[in-house]
Amino acid sequence: MDSLDIVFTGFLISALRSATPLLLTLLGECLGQRTGVINLGAEGQMLVGAMAGYGATAAFGNPWVGLLAGAGAGVALSAVHALLVVGAQANQFASGLAVWMLGFGLSAYFGAALVGQQVTAFDSIDVGAAAQWPVIGSVIAGMTPTVLLALLLVPVIGLWFYRTRTGLRWRAVGESPAAARAAGVSPATVQIQAVLVGGLLSGLGGAALSVDYTRTWAEGMSAGRGLVAVGLVIVARWNPWWTLPAALLFGGAEALSLRLQTADTPISAQLLHILPYLVSLVVLTLTCLRRSDSGTPAGLKAVMDR
Amino acid sequence: MHVSLAGITKRYGAILANDDVDLDLVPGEVVALLGENGAGKSTLMKILFGFQQADAGEIRIDGRPVVIDSPRAAAALGIGMVFQQFSLVPALTVRENLALGHRCTPWWIGRGARSFAAPVAHLRDIAPEIEPDLPVSRLAVGEMQLVELAKVLNLDAGVVILDEPTSVLTPAESERLWEQVRRIAAGGAAVVLITHKLEDVFACAQRVAVMRRGRMVATLDTSSVTPDALVRLIVGAETVTTAQPVERTADALPRAWIKNLSATTAAGAIAGVDLRIAAGEILGIAGVSGNGQQTLADAVAGLAILLAGEVIVDGETLQAPRAEMPAQSAVAYLPEQPLRNAVAPDLSVAVNLMLKRIRDLPWRSHPSQFDADARERITAFDIRPTDPRATAASLSGGNLQKLVAARELAGAPALIVACYPTMGLDLGAAAAVYEALFAHARRGAAVLWISEDLDDLLRYAHRIAVLHRGRIAGIADTAQATRRQLGAWMVGHSIDVAAEPAHA
Amino acid sequence: MRDLMLSGPGRVVGTTLAVLMLTGAFFLAIGRDPVELMGLIVRSAAGDGYAITESLVRATPILLCALATALPARLGLITVGAEGQLYFGALLGTGFVLANLGATSAAPYMAMIVVAMLAGAAWALLPAVLRSHLGVNETISTLLVNYVAALLVTWVVYGPWKSAANLGWPATADFPEAFKPSTFFDSRVHSGLWIAIGLAVLLHWTFVRTRWGLTLDVLRSNPRAGIAAGLNWRRNVLLTMALGGMLAGLAGILETASIQGRLQANLSAGAGLSGFLVAWLARNHCLRIIPMSLLVGALLASGDGLQMFANVPSSIALVVQGLLFVAVLLVGGYANRLQVRRG
Repeated sequence: MDSLDIVFTGFLISALRSATPLLLTLLGECLGQRTGVINLGAEGQMLVGAMAGYGATAAFGNPWVGLLAGAGAGVALSAVHALLVVGAQANQFASGLAVWMLGFGLSAYFGAALVGQQVTAFDSIDVGAAAQWPVIGSVIAGMTPTVLLALLLVPVIGLWFYRTRTGLRWRAVGESPAAARAAGVSPATVQIQAVLVGGLLSGLGGAALSVDYTRTWAEGMSAGRGLVAVGLVIVARWNPWWTLPAALLFGGAEALSLRLQTADTPISAQLLHILPYLVSLVVLTLTCLRRSDSGTPAGLKAVMDR
Repeated sequence: MHVSLAGITKRYGAILANDDVDLDLVPGEVVALLGENGAGKSTLMKILFGFQQADAGEIRIDGRPVVIDSPRAAAALGIGMVFQQFSLVPALTVRENLALGHRCTPWWIGRGARSFAAPVAHLRDIAPEIEPDLPVSRLAVGEMQLVELAKVLNLDAGVVILDEPTSVLTPAESERLWEQVRRIAAGGAAVVLITHKLEDVFACAQRVAVMRRGRMVATLDTSSVTPDALVRLIVGAETVTTAQPVERTADALPRAWIKNLSATTAAGAIAGVDLRIAAGEILGIAGVSGNGQQTLADAVAGLAILLAGEVIVDGETLQAPRAEMPAQSAVAYLPEQPLRNAVAPDLSVAVNLMLKRIRDLPWRSHPSQFDADARERITAFDIRPTDPRATAASLSGGNLQKLVAARELAGAPALIVACYPTMGLDLGAAAAVYEALFAHARRGAAVLWISEDLDDLLRYAHRIAVLHRGRIAGIADTAQATRRQLGAWMVGHSIDVAAEPAHA
Repeated sequence: MRDLMLSGPGRVVGTTLAVLMLTGAFFLAIGRDPVELMGLIVRSAAGDGYAITESLVRATPILLCALATALPARLGLITVGAEGQLYFGALLGTGFVLANLGATSAAPYMAMIVVAMLAGAAWALLPAVLRSHLGVNETISTLLVNYVAALLVTWVVYGPWKSAANLGWPATADFPEAFKPSTFFDSRVHSGLWIAIGLAVLLHWTFVRTRWGLTLDVLRSNPRAGIAAGLNWRRNVLLTMALGGMLAGLAGILETASIQGRLQANLSAGAGLSGFLVAWLARNHCLRIIPMSLLVGALLASGDGLQMFANVPSSIALVVQGLLFVAVLLVGGYANRLQVRRG
């Protein structure tokens, strides 16, 4: 194995690890938007997920309990979005911002006591012989349980979405609520389910962030990842399979900025932190530049163009 | 399955949409439900399909009274309906659409629902050439209708309702649909064909039920009735006001030249459309909807960016390629779907009536200034409600049409672009809009009139051009035009662009 | 009941009841007496002269950011970019000050304001152009550029503009007196409050009484109909976004010059997002924005008082703010549904 290889796999591992919380959130957001609900509250759901996950891990000493608690907190907060958007039919963007505000406040309030606490880390996964495989062996060995979970969820959700009856119904609701209703599917029920699943995944993403990736809790620590996810769903053309490369874009940009920092480049750390947001914005713009509406769920178009 | 509707009454506010209506549906028979727009046909069928509840009356199936409170309940009873607005998901494939509503779709359906054949069995029967793995968005309108029909057949429906099925079809597609309708009835189902076209009635119905103003005025055997008698039943004793056709001026000067126009919008594309309209001439554009009509109208009115060509009115170039030119006051535009395209729904009728002059207002302006002016137009065009402060959104579709006509036909435009200007109006209101439109033609304006109604086009237009896939498939003087020729052009047979007649 | 829900006062009462119930439930859930805690909030927001002036101080940038949100909203745009415009206005305004540290006359002060406003406008124009010419959703793009602007400020205060006089604290040098807006009596309330209120009144008059206001109404209601009437949608997107950006940029430089006295990270304290909430509460009505921003400013200011006197984390004010937003959407949404059902 030559040095270039080491640099590459090292970069890939750090990109994957920093992409994981985003990937989970992105998957959830993707499902929601495919049923016609956009949820900026993903940011708030990540925050309560991160806070609850960190708190539970600190209290029980088990990071798996933390993931579970984070997912639960995400579901609970996303229920607010479901209530506002599907129940009261409030504006989706405004409702998402309200959920974000609420999640920020709640996580700051309950998280105040968690600052400075230590948590137990995940045991490293024993991958056995797979670690010896050429090239990807070291990538596999460097994975944590949350990375593996997120990577597994991509095909699981992708297959479920495109090859099952329920997936078909969800897609129909996002494309045409009227046609779905005519076929005996209740759009409201499907949208509520999708928002709650989105809450579960973004809560899980938040917990992955605090429990596994940074191993700290800080107020507002998701730093816009949930909002980036909303934009990257567009980049992924609302296709669960494409969420992985979209998330890796952000993760890669973040890994690159961290790498440049440690490599003593003259560019300052704060300036490099801009990179992931900039990359997301540029890719989002390029995606819209193609001007083709292919892939945009018709129900969502109505929400976005108004 | 014998279905009988008895004493059905339904009231919307002040309007009695259905007034004590009776109708019997017998297995193996096709009933045509005939009447004008607003006669109450659709309301009656929506009640049968569970979309709406009757205020009074009852529905019996095989003598047993039933409650149908939702489309789902109707489907469970074996009642299926094909709507004018298709309930298909355009982004999904034909197979996925059929699997979506199918009772025994399994949990795992595989890629594109391909591992599941049952839903397409009926489709294979009625339209074997439709590729089930194509997205519905790639189908022609006629094919979509057949997919809808297959969906209803999948329910094993005993009653099949079709709402204005031929209104968007070419003559050939209509014939094919009639054949399918007869087949379904022969298979033992009761079929209801909602329509306002007489040809539908005589092509496939055994019985015809005529509605007028919410009442059932007659139920007759088709074999025992003449078209003239049916028309009298539809319109009633009242004398029908029709618009007076505009005399054609012999040696009129050219007024508008749509020169080699190409444009693409979300609604479709047009390519190389070249039309000349003389002063006082009414040029009709026929074609199946979705063949570029809206793009043509938008492009001429200055709402689409042109890829090539020009719009020249009175020798002046109003629209040129790739330039964003503001809409011109020389062009009046009555677009289709006024609520979506031509009015600001949450603003007042008064503001909507002066939209075209908004740029000429003084910089200090308040909407209340326009009330007096608005009242005049509201009276002239009989817009209801008459309150100039009412929001445009509170108007019915017909009144919105009148509002847009009142605004656009106010000045002295040189070119008028009118898309389906009488859609949703009753005969009297339609005649009034036609009169206002034709008055401008008599004054010397050029009129580009897009319509799906061949009867009206043949009666009022001077020439008819047919749009197919964004190109002019043919153009003919109305005097020489035949339905057969126009129908062939509509489906793209013989695209030979005839030379423009000398007078234009 | 239905008619009550639809009326303006009915909505206000409904929202107030909903927010009281939601916060009450939350206070109970965290084991506090709701009545006592709400009383404390009111007292720390408006209990004495100091509390009142602190509430006004907090309300000033929120008011400007709410106007910055309401302007594009008159065109139907949902922008959350005031936060970033505020940062960028503060950034370039500070840059101007640092380049003119020796100034004493009033001219450079005005120039600082102008630079900051232009900076805010420029920052708003980026998502505006993306929206008007490329169709990029403005809500998402403004949220993303917010982070970029905030990180730019963080960068300069940690790096190139960091002043050694601050003993390691990341901030620029103090602004000279000539660049500080005048304040009232002994409080921190500065002239920005009156400027903001004046702008709100001016904007309201513009929206209601001028052709431009009517133009925006038409384009919001139906862009297609507006364009058909010869109105320019794109130009108005750029115009409203840029004007909004100017107001947010103004908020940024006033906050920096007057309250903080130097540029430092996290200067906005969420004013942009609170401004969005206020604009929504007031349904983009510029006169209603004034009391609403005072209300939300007071609520947020009470958080600091609570922390000091009742040993409650100040973030409780953020929770109440979030619940307020939820209550508004809940009541407004159900009221709209009733309205639609009545046709």
